[in-house]
Amino acid sequence: MSRVPFYLKERLEEVRRRVLFETYEVQKLPRWERITFTWLVLFSFWIVISGNLSLENIFAGALSSLIISSFMYDMLTDDIRASGHLIEKIIYIALFLVPQYLFIMIFRLLESNFRVAKHAILLDINPGIVKIRSDLHSDTGLTILANSITLTPGTLTIDVDKKLGEAYLYVHWLNVETLDREKAGYKIKGDIEEWLKKIFW
Amino acid sequence: MIEYFFLALGLLVMVFSTLGILRFPDVYTRLHATTKCDTGGAMSIMIALAIYVDASFFIKLKFLILAFLIALINPMVSHAVARGAYKYGIKPKVVVDMYAWDNP
Repeated sequence: MSRVPFYLKERLEEVRRRVLFETYEVQKLPRWERITFTWLVLFSFWIVISGNLSLENIFAGALSSLIISSFMYDMLTDDIRASGHLIEKIIYIALFLVPQYLFIMIFRLLESNFRVAKHAILLDINPGIVKIRSDLHSDTGLTILANSITLTPGTLTIDVDKKLGEAYLYVHWLNVETLDREKAGYKIKGDIEEWLKKIFW
Repeated sequence: MIEYFFLALGLLVMVFSTLGILRFPDVYTRLHATTKCDTGGAMSIMIALAIYVDASFFIKLKFLILAFLIALINPMVSHAVARGAYKYGIKPKVVVDMYAWDNP
């Protein structure tokens, strides 16, 4: 790998990117699973918003959300990692992963509120913009990661730089402790990225 | 009884958020105060209302959906404001600025 001519090196890089892209494309869900997933989300939203449990209301909601989800299935579930059976995945996400995420985020939000109050009283801030690396590649996963970073104590996402193989986040940090990319990423992201990797690629 | 605790917590967080807006030095640090404390305060007030209101189960659930939407939209708005301010040319008062290294 040390003495490869530059035209070959360029070609090799292109082929490697192509392979990476193909492996991500293959991992998408099949179409009927995506339709079912979108239908489930839309139907539960319909029940909560309409707020009555009569039979014709539920029937009309199921029919209209089925029509919508049959041609809008690409928007919501484009980035979900394909693993396991559909029923198993839905139960795993709804009963285990989402409560875990809410439990993590509620305590982080409380801690960030108190920490901002402390900084507002004492004014002991040392701000800086640092760049951290993320292992996620999909749009939805990066969006949820950036929003979670904004809600965690002392950090605010400014911009996301996404390329094909890697993604970088620019984070405004209220109290800069380290400039090393690995340590800063570990301190900022915490266990949220590990959680997101189970669902999104 | 617990709804008064949530209401008082939301009020306290909102007061400190206002203090942070008044005392922090520049745009980006003020955005910290608005984003986190608005989200936390509004969410706890919504939870207090959902416990307090004397209505059916679905109306309480609608309050929780409102709190969820606040938690979803508020970070996005703060990100848009911060990025727009940086693109407009407002320099942050920071010790290290890696965003300016990569976008000269």
